[in-house]
Amino acid sequence: MEVYKVLEIKKSVYENNDREAELLRQELKKEQTFLLNLMSSPGSGKTTTLLRTIEALKDEMRIAILEADIDSDVDAHTVAKTGTKVIQLHTGGMCHLDAGMTRQGLDGIGSEDADLVVLENVGNLVCPAEFDTGASKNAMILSVPEGDDKPLKYPLMFSIVDVLLINKIDVLEHFDFDLDVLRAQVNKINPNLIVIPISAKTGEGIGEWADWLRGAVKNWNQPEPVVESPA
Amino acid sequence: MHELGIVYEVIKIVDEFALANNLTKVDKIILEIGQLSQTIPHFVEACYPAAVSDTPYQETKLEIIVLPARGECQACHEIFNVVDHRKICPNCQAEDFSLISGREFNIKEVVAY
Ligand SMILES: Nc1nc2c(ncn2[C@@H]2O[C@H](COP(=O)(O)OP(=O)(O)O)[C@@H](O)[C@H]2O)c(=O)[nH]1
Ligand SMILES: [Mg+2]
Ligand SMILES: [Zn+2]
Ligand SMILES: [Zn+2]
Repeated sequence: MEVYKVLEIKKSVYENNDREAELLRQELKKEQTFLLNLMSSPGSGKTTTLLRTIEALKDEMRIAILEADIDSDVDAHTVAKTGTKVIQLHTGGMCHLDAGMTRQGLDGIGSEDADLVVLENVGNLVCPAEFDTGASKNAMILSVPEGDDKPLKYPLMFSIVDVLLINKIDVLEHFDFDLDVLRAQVNKINPNLIVIPISAKTGEGIGEWADWLRGAVKNWNQPEPVVESPA
Repeated sequence: MHELGIVYEVIKIVDEFALANNLTKVDKIILEIGQLSQTIPHFVEACYPAAVSDTPYQETKLEIIVLPARGECQACHEIFNVVDHRKICPNCQAEDFSLISGREFNIKEVVAY
């Protein structure tokens, strides 16, 4: 008769993914590829914003797209028509992407030949916040019809992103959405978060967004600052 | 579904652990899930049988320990359960706190031989 014993593991379920993501981030840094993880609820305008972004930046950098959002009005085919490299990731109905799936996508598209890769994550504000994809920066889109109280409902997502795009500002007057209220709430959760109001439909604010992205890509490719010791 | 993917990850980690420690049979897996984790214990239990069916863990039991969401009041440093007290310090009624625990999702231990 064998005797059961209790063996302590004490390991976070996210630990493997976190390690994998960190490794991927270092590799991307070495090959000078900037990976943006773009997240939002379904229909906030990820794909439409992507098309605008491609339009604004395609003459200055090589762009590739990893498309994981399946239930969308505009999909991989629409992006492909712009002449940008794009692949549809098969997420098998999963509600989030992890670093392993992201790596497969990057290998599939040949990320070493791209300066900017955008991952259009699955439309969901819950679990993508818990899974580091290995991205250089994380962006989120909140669209006006979703309401200015979303940060209260999804604090984790708002706390992990670097930049927040407020999309569909062309319909602002038809909704009870207060940009100042939103900024105040966001500031409480994540004081460093950059907020950029845009309309992917009219193009308003896309210039500012493209500037931010341009700066982020440039920073990513800077060599690590050398700390000079005082003489 | 989110929880199913998570349970596969749990099994993967346990499997690696079993291999490294020469375990022949895992009787029980014990998880710790924070009260504020995005993963819901009830759903984990619900999809667990599907995740382990036709694997060496088919007979392995699952136990979940819920870890409380504890916050420390930034004003008076009282430590309180932020869910029970709706994010308001029961001592001084301040609304600013820092979270001490509650977001975990750990594999605590396994019972095995
Ligand atoms: N009015 C308005 N509609 C938009 C804007 N951006 C996207 N949409 C519409 O919102 C819907 C969802 O957009 P899509 O890019 O597919 O969202 P995704 O699911 O996040 O990829 C589409 O019908 C778009 O035409 C915008 O700035 N203003
Ligand atoms: Mg889309
Ligand atoms: Zn998920
Ligand atoms: Zn207090």
